[in-house]
Amino acid sequence: MKAMPTLEGGLRIDTEDESDWEVLRAIIADANCCGIDLASRLGGLISDEAGSQDWEDFVVPDLREAFQDELAQVGASIEAAIHHSTNGPGPLWITREDGFAWYSSLNQARLAIEEHYAFGPGESISPKGLTPARRAAFIRSRFYCTIQGLLLEHVIR
Amino acid sequence: MADTDTLTRTDEETSLDVPWNVVVHDDPVNLMQYVTFVLIKIFGYDEKKASILMMQVHKQGRSIVWSGDREKAEFYVQQLQAHQLKTSLEKAQ
Repeated sequence: MKAMPTLEGGLRIDTEDESDWEVLRAIIADANCCGIDLASRLGGLISDEAGSQDWEDFVVPDLREAFQDELAQVGASIEAAIHHSTNGPGPLWITREDGFAWYSSLNQARLAIEEHYAFGPGESISPKGLTPARRAAFIRSRFYCTIQGLLLEHVIR
Repeated sequence: MADTDTLTRTDEETSLDVPWNVVVHDDPVNLMQYVTFVLIKIFGYDEKKASILMMQVHKQGRSIVWSGDREKAEFYVQQLQAHQLKTSLEKAQ
């Protein structure tokens, strides 16, 4: 898989085979994995003194909906790109307008992986010492992080 | 008909509201560059101030990124959480 910035301020990801599409699909699967609800976890940071119940009732549902909308948008982009490429190699375009939804979705995926596997900062982790499932999750998380870096550098800012 | 005057006296008493702190907490996922970007976007801080606050989050585990009245603090916390930063609201000591 190759990723490069576009002249229009977006990002182009070129997949090289079918498995690359599965890696991209995994963004959505990871973000939704393990029954972890990011909006509720963020809401859990609000103390009783600060109005945790009101936060849970009024803010968390909006956050949850916004996060799900972003995932749905990215999922639809991936599926549309797969459809256009007839399951073979092909490009996926991330426009400037879609940049934040992509960043957010990748972040949701990484937050869910971190919640489940607790890798920590990651720089000191050697994938060799991990079980296959943990290694795969670690590599996906690093890949998502790399795309996030490109989005920050070339698309969002 | 008797002329009557009504006198109205207003006693004003004011006390300062305790400010509320918007606190961003460290996490191993959000990129440092992203945290800086969000602080600039939401609060309009310049890059230097946003970077200092981001480094506080990174090194000390948390940073008070804004203090003020509760309503506005709640708005900022909501905005920061919408950007997936671990953020809480606390009464200033």
